Amino acid sequence: MNRILLSRRGFLTSACCLAAAPVFTPVTFAAMPGDSRFVTIVLRGAMDGLDLVQPYGDSGFAALRPTLALTPDTGLLDLDGHFGLNPAAAELMPLWKSRELAFVNAVSTPYRDQRSHFDGQDMLESGGEHVAEEKTGWLNRALAVIPRSDARKAIDVNTSTELILSGPNNVDVWASDSNLAPARDEMQFLARLYAGDPPFAAALAEATRADTASMMVEPDGQHGEKIADVAALAAKMLKGDYRIASFSITGWDTHIGQVGQFKRPAQDLAQAINTLKTVLGPNVWGKTVVLAMTEFGRTIRQNGSGGTDHGTGGCALIAGGAINGGRILGKWPGLGDGQLLDDRDLMPTADVREVAAAMLYRQFDVGVDDLTGKIFPGLGFDKGSQFLKV
Amino acid sequence: MSLSFPTMAAIRFGYGFRPGEAAPRSKDELIGQLSKGASATPDFPLGGPDMRHRAILSLQAQLKQIREDAKTVTDDPTRREMRKAVQRQAQQQFQHDVNLRLMQAVLSPYGFYERLSTFWTDHFSTSASKSLPMRLIVPLYEAEAIRPFISGRFGDLLRSAIAHPAMLIYLDQADSLGPESAGGIKRNNGLNENLGRELLELHTLGAGSAYTQADVTAAAMVLTGLTIDRKEMDIAFRPNISEPGAHEVLGVSYGGRRRSRDDYLDMLDDLSVHPKTAAHISRKLAIHFVSDQPDERMVSDMEAAWKKTDGDLTTVYTAMLDHPAAWQNEGAKARQPFDYVVAGLRALNAGPVNGVVGSFLAANQQGTDEGDMAANTPGLAGSPVTTDPAGEAREKRLKSFRTARALGQGALRRMGQPTWQPPSPAGFEEGFSAWITGGQIAERLAWARRAAAQFGRDDDPRAFLRSTLADAARDETMRVVSQAPNKISGLTLVLASPEFNRR
Repeated sequence: MNRILLSRRGFLTSACCLAAAPVFTPVTFAAMPGDSRFVTIVLRGAMDGLDLVQPYGDSGFAALRPTLALTPDTGLLDLDGHFGLNPAAAELMPLWKSRELAFVNAVSTPYRDQRSHFDGQDMLESGGEHVAEEKTGWLNRALAVIPRSDARKAIDVNTSTELILSGPNNVDVWASDSNLAPARDEMQFLARLYAGDPPFAAALAEATRADTASMMVEPDGQHGEKIADVAALAAKMLKGDYRIASFSITGWDTHIGQVGQFKRPAQDLAQAINTLKTVLGPNVWGKTVVLAMTEFGRTIRQNGSGGTDHGTGGCALIAGGAINGGRILGKWPGLGDGQLLDDRDLMPTADVREVAAAMLYRQFDVGVDDLTGKIFPGLGFDKGSQFLKV
Repeated sequence: MSLSFPTMAAIRFGYGFRPGEAAPRSKDELIGQLSKGASATPDFPLGGPDMRHRAILSLQAQLKQIREDAKTVTDDPTRREMRKAVQRQAQQQFQHDVNLRLMQAVLSPYGFYERLSTFWTDHFSTSASKSLPMRLIVPLYEAEAIRPFISGRFGDLLRSAIAHPAMLIYLDQADSLGPESAGGIKRNNGLNENLGRELLELHTLGAGSAYTQADVTAAAMVLTGLTIDRKEMDIAFRPNISEPGAHEVLGVSYGGRRRSRDDYLDMLDDLSVHPKTAAHISRKLAIHFVSDQPDERMVSDMEAAWKKTDGDLTTVYTAMLDHPAAWQNEGAKARQPFDYVVAGLRALNAGPVNGVVGSFLAANQQGTDEGDMAANTPGLAGSPVTTDPAGEAREKRLKSFRTARALGQGALRRMGQPTWQPPSPAGFEEGFSAWITGGQIAERLAWARRAAAQFGRDDDPRAFLRSTLADAARDETMRVVSQAPNKISGLTLVLASPEFNRR
């Protein structure tokens, strides 16, 4: 029998470990004339923006999050005297210092109350006002209004794009051969799924026993190299004919033990952005904007199991070689009594779609009417947008 | 009945739900699938039976030529190349058939018929690994010797399975000569008991039932003469290698002064209606479909149906379906890997005609392994990114092909159930604990993630759970799936759930 190598590494290693299973990480692209590049990173699972960018200057923050809140004395990296960066994302600090990175606080999609990851991500990617209102991705609809060349036909691949780029306009999908182990947040769901079925629970325990490698947790750093593969693939394509790329980072659904769980996705995020910068090289990085965003934020207060639950207002990141960064955007609503949404979530003060619209305007001169009509129906956007300041 | 009839029918007696395909609503519908399935031509072997017969003959001729050359030429690179090319071609045809076999199960609306075809192909196990020609013969064997006969008399199925080149090669019958026959004496060669033994132990009476070594030897003697015509690659009966005289199997005498084909056919007919055979196979069916510890009354109903009709299989299946135990204790069995992969691909196979899965697998049947050795994946460290469209197109084709492989026969190999390559004449393991292990769960989870990422992007996991498991979905699974951190995770959890791995 011929043995077929399915990926560069790991696929033929022992079957006892899930870490060896390659996971299909799609990166979607679109090619266009012009020099500007735009990368979207979808942070799936609801990133806790308050953990990434901590308002340590707010009195009361520490009390709301006894085990999660840090201060500059306990390792938080100060950003501006009020907010500080989680040390898990320390690798982002050089970009912050060189003003190639900005954070946007208290943004959300129009999605409210239900707090389902699926619906939340659908809203984030489709750009509509309501769940299931838009069937295509906003980035795909944007392609139709960006002047682009038809000289380059998209290659027909039999894989589906992520929603954000799916739709009638040509995009290509590449899959990285990275072997991404299941994120820790997923593993907890799996454990719950099998909890009531003893033979399956026993089999899962056997599968996750750390004999040769663990599918639960990889040594820190190893995983990052793999997300780096995805980012490197995106960057290399952007150096060629492609101008738009999108991929995802998972692992943000930190209901339990967030102190440990938050580290890996935060490192991944830092690694992904740094890899894009490195591989693109100074010239192309100077024409690139990266927007990382999530479906919704998480609760202000930590829960009983050292984690946080689904919330509303959250944080987005903007990075790029030519941005006016080193600043924190977005109106901060505060954490005091009466300042929260439903007394549990960070109050959104802007629509995350406005951030995306600003980047499309900035990078590709997409007209305001297109932005508020075809791409983000119902969005209010004008050239005075605070997000055009970056 | 704890679950609805269509759910039990689809999951326990079929390969699960496929979006847009109505599940059976009655026993009559399930039984009705048998004639419909049997009258449909299977998708394999590639090119159909006639073309396959010709391909087998041509392979035999090529192998013969290579052997002839070997006598005269020493270590000639051209000859080595030729042998390699012949091997590669046979191997590729086999891979193609394996894909077609998977597609057949995924796309067929007759799940019960398909499940029974798998059962009987396993019951009368042969292996494509036995020799190069077997790569071409085994798929043909299932198509022409098993599938057309699974709803008729067991005696006919037995005749057709035993007297097929695949079985004769696999169990060495072609090498069995009557020691006292003219041909045996001349070639100074003797009896090979392999087929005689498995016929009693596996195919009919069952291990440990009332037969002795003397019966095994006698059965093998009766079978002598049944062999392969290597020129035609068809079965033949040659009296000159048939052991002369009468041979007594289970107290019945076969043969005599003149030996003929009828001797072994009579023996097969008698074995097919033997009470031990009725008991052994009724129980085996009940274990395969319903439970590792089947309800004894259900088994005895099936036996009674067997005896009453001289082994009419449709009547036996009906007796199984008519018993209440067939519709109780859902999920008592583990889906075996082939069952799991097929059910997963069916669940994801939305869309018209052959569906998204069917189209993808069909488009990526034929790939090449070139490039597997070359680490030229774009974007990975140290590898060039190609921006020429032709190169990219090639890359993508290669990737799609690899994905199709990984989701199909690659996965089945890794999960321990490579198509048409059972570990022994006894076929694949049957019991729950053989398939639900740490390694197996790891493989299935990896498969589920890959399949969900490939095909499931448009599905809402909550809706997917409902359409895939219907009322078999537990409340807890619904809760966990609806809270999953993203769609791909949600779909993966559905495919990894205990209830999706059980039937």
